[in-house]
Amino acid sequence: MGELLRDDAELILAERRYQAIADILESTLTKGEGKWTYTDMFDHVFLHKALGIPIFLAMLWAVFQFTFSLSEPFMVMIGMIFGWLGGLAEELIANPHLASFVAGGIFDGLGSVLVFVPPIFMLFLALSLLEDSGYMARAAFVMDRIMYKLGLHGRSFIPMMIGFGCNIPAIMATRSIDNEKDRMITILVNPLISCGARLPVYVLIAGAVFGAKYAGTVIFSMYLLGMVLAIVMALVFRKTLFKGKPSPFVLELPAYVVPTAKTTILHMWERGKWFLVRAGTIIFGTVIVIWFLSVHPWAATAGGEMIGNSYIASLGHFLEPIVRPFGWDWMAAVALLFGFLAKEVVVGTYGILLGVEEGAVGASLVSLGLFTPLTGLAFMAFILIYVPCVATIGVVAKETNSYRWAAFVVVYLVALAFIVSGLIIGIGRLLGFS
Amino acid sequence: MADFDTGTGKTLGIYTSALGLLYLVFGLIEIFGGSGEQVPGDLFGGFALVVIAATYLIGVKGVLRGRHQGLSLLIGGLFLSAVFGVLYLLIIGADGLMYLLGEAEELPGLVDLRPAIWFFILSLPLVYTARKLTKRITW
Repeated sequence: MGELLRDDAELILAERRYQAIADILESTLTKGEGKWTYTDMFDHVFLHKALGIPIFLAMLWAVFQFTFSLSEPFMVMIGMIFGWLGGLAEELIANPHLASFVAGGIFDGLGSVLVFVPPIFMLFLALSLLEDSGYMARAAFVMDRIMYKLGLHGRSFIPMMIGFGCNIPAIMATRSIDNEKDRMITILVNPLISCGARLPVYVLIAGAVFGAKYAGTVIFSMYLLGMVLAIVMALVFRKTLFKGKPSPFVLELPAYVVPTAKTTILHMWERGKWFLVRAGTIIFGTVIVIWFLSVHPWAATAGGEMIGNSYIASLGHFLEPIVRPFGWDWMAAVALLFGFLAKEVVVGTYGILLGVEEGAVGASLVSLGLFTPLTGLAFMAFILIYVPCVATIGVVAKETNSYRWAAFVVVYLVALAFIVSGLIIGIGRLLGFS
Repeated sequence: MADFDTGTGKTLGIYTSALGLLYLVFGLIEIFGGSGEQVPGDLFGGFALVVIAATYLIGVKGVLRGRHQGLSLLIGGLFLSAVFGVLYLLIIGADGLMYLLGEAEELPGLVDLRPAIWFFILSLPLVYTARKLTKRITW
């Protein structure tokens, strides 16, 4: 039957079964006014054949506008506090080594990462609202129609949505996918879904080179790019490594509810606290290493004043030829290298290397000519695609029971990052951008 | 068979059509580069307005016939109007806060009210009628 109808037999049977149920209900049940519920009404809109996907995209855009535009003043406030603390440390601490460590390492480095607490928590607040209201399950349902046609399993969409928060639980959530091929494809493409750790980099670069007016739109484009790339790569994997058809997707839709403030805030906290934990552990540790490398040799750098003579500059200049074709300098090379540990470190690296107050990092990126809109866009795309953090690679290895698949993820993502960023730069230059 | 009074449906349908057309026109203006300060060029913002327009306009036929299907789309459109109207109002609040922090040159004024805010206000009369028609409906 499958061959005859050129479709999956199991899916056809499921569709016929539901059609039979619908036919029986239509001939035996009369829906009066009392039969409609708000859930029926909202489902009629959110699951609408023509409107379902556009509404989902519009909602997603609203989430990113909410995240970026509303968090801006709070970011400025945190930046001001850290700037003031840094100035105070320089003034009060007599020992120049210690003063440099506290002001440059802790307040400039860690501070420039902690500035991004508001957008991260706001993103999770918005996603929690969508999830708690019951909308996210509908989003998975409407996306299934497209995903199945593209050879993906509808259930893959749920880990993708979780990936907006963090790729680690998202990859672990693929355990709910029964079919091994579907699961493998979902694991391999999940790192392309933009996690919360990439958000600080987008906010910094987009805010600096595109201005507050367009930053939200540019950030949304990055999330869309990630989803499109995930779908394209899933298709490639389906046609090459994991041939076959995806299994049908059955999803029970919960009733809509008005989310309560308590549960939404709790969910936001549960998802967002990892950022604070990472800031206090891996990010803190890495920025201290970066600070050390940026002020030593102490005499040659005049206590970090002449960063061009530092160890980190030597490392950056060594790596610079790799990123130079994209219009990025040695600082970007160093930031990308340390960003392998955790993406937020990219922001912390610039905070230390530029040696300016937290709120001024973005402005310095532009005034020093480190990024133009074109090179900034390519850099954001590179951040989105190239190796996810080291913890995600570890989870890929664990979930696939293979270090080879983890290595494969690293290799294909780095290659894809070079291709996509190269295309952005190439097409942009052809169009006359610099 | 009508689910609610078709007379009410006609009034609602006409209002919804007008609102849908407004959303559509301004959405297209935003997508194609904007016009002046009050209707800035915004590809995705314009797309959102067009989506709201489509939700309203697709529902018009059902509303005119007094059917729940049409009313659902009207309520869906209202919901989306509220999401975007409130979002832009919050953004204006954030801009005001930026001014107080010394990061913006001037306080946001009437000129900063995006069309989505005006249309959200224009949608409010529909909330009352929709609420009346869905009194007996539960979650």
